[in-house]
Amino acid sequence: MLQSSPMAWRRRAVVSETRHLLFSVAPGAVWIFIFLVLPSAYLMGVAFMTNGPYGLPQMPLSLASFERLAGFGFLGWSPGNLYTLLRSLWQTLVSTALVVIIAYPVAYYITTCREKWRPILLLLVVVPSWTNQVIRAFGWMNLLAPGTPLSDLADALGLIGPHMGLYPSNFAVTLGLVYNFLPFMVLPLYAAFEKLDTAQVEAAQDLYANPIRAFWHAVFPQTLPGLLAGTVLVAIPAFGMYVIPELLGGGKGMMLGNLVANQFAESSNWPLGAAGAILMLIATFIGLFAMRRIGKRLGGGEEVVI
Amino acid sequence: MRKRTLTRGLAGIWWVTLFFLYVPLFVIVLFSFNSANSTAIFERFSLAWYRRLFDNEQIINAFGNSLVLAVSSSIVALVIGCLIGYGMYRHRHRKLGWLIVLIYLPIVLPDIVFGISEMAFFVQIHAWTGLLQPGLGTMIIAHVTFQIPFVALIVYSRFVGLDPTLFEAAKDLYASPLKRVVHFMVPTIKPALISAFFLSFTLSIDDFVISFFTAGPESATLPIYIWSAIKKGVTPEINAIATLMIGAVALAAVLSMLFNRQGRR
Amino acid sequence: MSENMTAEIADHSSAHPTTGERDGANRKASSIEMQGLHKRFGRDTVALDGVDLNIRAGEFFTLLGPSGCGKTTLLRILAGLEEPEAGSLVVGGKNITEVPPHQRSVNTVFQSYALFPHLSVRENLAFGLKMRGMKTAERQAKVDEIAEFIKLGDLVDRHVDQLSGGQRQRIALARALICEPDVLLLDEPLSALDAGLRSQLQVELLRVQKRLGMTFVFVTHDQQEAMVMSDRIAVLNGGTIQQVGTPDEVYEHPVNAFVAHFMGHDNLFAISAAEDDWVDTELGRLRLDPAEQRDAQDGWLLIRPETLELDGEIPEGYNRLQGTVAERLYRGSRIEYRLTVNGRSLMAVASNLGQRMHNIGDRVTISVCPEDLVRVAA
Repeated sequence: MLQSSPMAWRRRAVVSETRHLLFSVAPGAVWIFIFLVLPSAYLMGVAFMTNGPYGLPQMPLSLASFERLAGFGFLGWSPGNLYTLLRSLWQTLVSTALVVIIAYPVAYYITTCREKWRPILLLLVVVPSWTNQVIRAFGWMNLLAPGTPLSDLADALGLIGPHMGLYPSNFAVTLGLVYNFLPFMVLPLYAAFEKLDTAQVEAAQDLYANPIRAFWHAVFPQTLPGLLAGTVLVAIPAFGMYVIPELLGGGKGMMLGNLVANQFAESSNWPLGAAGAILMLIATFIGLFAMRRIGKRLGGGEEVVI
Repeated sequence: MRKRTLTRGLAGIWWVTLFFLYVPLFVIVLFSFNSANSTAIFERFSLAWYRRLFDNEQIINAFGNSLVLAVSSSIVALVIGCLIGYGMYRHRHRKLGWLIVLIYLPIVLPDIVFGISEMAFFVQIHAWTGLLQPGLGTMIIAHVTFQIPFVALIVYSRFVGLDPTLFEAAKDLYASPLKRVVHFMVPTIKPALISAFFLSFTLSIDDFVISFFTAGPESATLPIYIWSAIKKGVTPEINAIATLMIGAVALAAVLSMLFNRQGRR
Repeated sequence: MSENMTAEIADHSSAHPTTGERDGANRKASSIEMQGLHKRFGRDTVALDGVDLNIRAGEFFTLLGPSGCGKTTLLRILAGLEEPEAGSLVVGGKNITEVPPHQRSVNTVFQSYALFPHLSVRENLAFGLKMRGMKTAERQAKVDEIAEFIKLGDLVDRHVDQLSGGQRQRIALARALICEPDVLLLDEPLSALDAGLRSQLQVELLRVQKRLGMTFVFVTHDQQEAMVMSDRIAVLNGGTIQQVGTPDEVYEHPVNAFVAHFMGHDNLFAISAAEDDWVDTELGRLRLDPAEQRDAQDGWLLIRPETLELDGEIPEGYNRLQGTVAERLYRGSRIEYRLTVNGRSLMAVASNLGQRMHNIGDRVTISVCPEDLVRVAA
């Protein structure tokens, strides 16, 4: 007859459950820890080291790479890096705004369609983003190159010089970013529109004669959580984008991602690149934090599905 | 009246957007069949670029690398991600915040930071120990790292969707722990597993940035090959490979969706 | 009544589908002995607080109580899905307290049925046999046998998605029975079904149990269902057993106010004073059977509504009360009256034999036999 004490039983159960948790979760957790957490930590450490020969980091610790990032080099201050930073911010801002302007009516249009069509329409928006980034940028290179109809048109309108082509240019980068991130905004906005409380909208239409005011008071606030989620999904990766400015931007279209990557490839200055990466990480975490905070205040509390 | 104008306007924006989304892909596909060496003027239909593709040893190698990388990383990620997904489900009542942070980290980290962290780390480890020479091995490690979260989340959501008493019914009907895995859990989440595999595969084939920074001299994948070919100068040959990749990825993605839907039903 | 049942079991035992060719003998049903079972959830929630209970072999035994009373926890301990912190569990003479569920010859019909969605009905039925290593051909034969016995017809070849609630319930029952367990556990198996189907399946379930002579432990919160189905009932509350008895014992002689309330009794009146053959309540002084006398002075007096007679002939020695009809509910086969006696509400039920109905506001004389009055502990 079993007469084990309650405490002994509980301890036994807790031990076996904990062992189970470790067994199932440990391989992946350890994997991500070793192959992502440690490398990221190492990279952050590198940012505070000195640039050695061949671009590899060495002791002593210093803030030199952050000074370099701010433009202070051997030859005094130069604005190159600062321009790159400002350009990254500007491109992020403009492309996110454009994406919102396009995605808003598109997402709303999908919700006005019949229910059985909606998944297919959403799929149509998403499918292009399944293809490789490089290939998509390459597609725009084909379209914007000198001698293509689009470039000829721009030429005829006097927007660009003769035989210039629309790429490489900052315009091409903006276009590439908008193209790349549009689906990331359409999906959360669609989710927000689909849950729209139509009773509230109808009440607002009665209340406000002006449809713009009805929209502003009844529709817009309800889509705000989706808008916010979309903004984070677009702005964070756009700020760190590498492929699009590299292919479509040329030398004058460089963004932070290129600055960072170049330090690990061509110009070889790991600490400087790592300092740039830290900047990107800070931007990422500010974005995520802001979304959580505002998301909570809006009372949505919904998780963003990527 | 005003409402109809609005609907028309919306439909107009929709079609223009759709055009915008598909034109670059369409141009690639179209010019891959161009007989002339031009991406501006279409001369006439030809499969010449595809023929040249199959004579190009570099492309064949890159294709092989992409395939080996995608298949092997997906298999490893499937096993590891599956275990995490089940662990998250089984212990969902515990406080697992640290695990959630760990799982979301690969998803939220910007590609470029992900890639250079891995590269710097591998190079340093290699300098110290001689292990982890950049090549397919390091690429597989990096790919598994970003695939794990997706597999884990798909498997987790499948488990959450199940009636929890099913687990008890399996115990009650004489299934030992091992038999529960073989005869109950794996068959029940099979659609999720297939869907997770296809998604991992697609993510791997699609990836450029992380592959680019973790690759060795001999381990260029298709996107890396395309990248360096573009850097050297645009040729319609790239259109031909790109067309094949667009087709392959679209197919894999559709399969993934189908299996996921079947699983949810 | 119990003799009848034994005869019925003997009658039908030859039709048992699962004893089969192996021995041809009657199944030996197993008894269950539980001693001092304790279970807590978390630090403070006591689910079971020292449960001692014996269930006889071949009995249809019901655990009855409100939600949170511990009945489901007790069933899960029997199945092995929950481990008791203290106490022992003996089934068929074997102590199985620490035996994991997949090694217990105990099967469960779950409330949600828990049919495996990835398997066909046939595979669901064969699952337990397969896990025990039975050969494919033998499994098929067993499935056909049970399908015949439960009258599943062509359900066997359908997919789980295509089954209705009642069909799922029967598949779940068949899936558990096919394993020939020592004990079958049923966790509110009928609660998800609508009323008509429910009573039909109650009868069917009872018939199956009587034919197999298997020990059934049934959990429900519905006292009507418990009374219809059970050989014996255990009423639980707050993790302890309040009363164990046959349906008539529990209904007619509840041991305390909780059991009385739970069995559906409304007419409970606080006793203010008592002597050998009378008690004082809010209704007034009432005579009762001296055998009904309890030691304690306090407690409750239970008057079952069907024992009250309104404006009838009053035999010698009967209690007599004056009241007014406050409410009348016509139920077809019977008529329920809410009466007001001394400012207190008293329910009475009369069979509808075509007699004159009383109207609201009528003054009536109420009579009740002293032997029908029951004293109930607080």
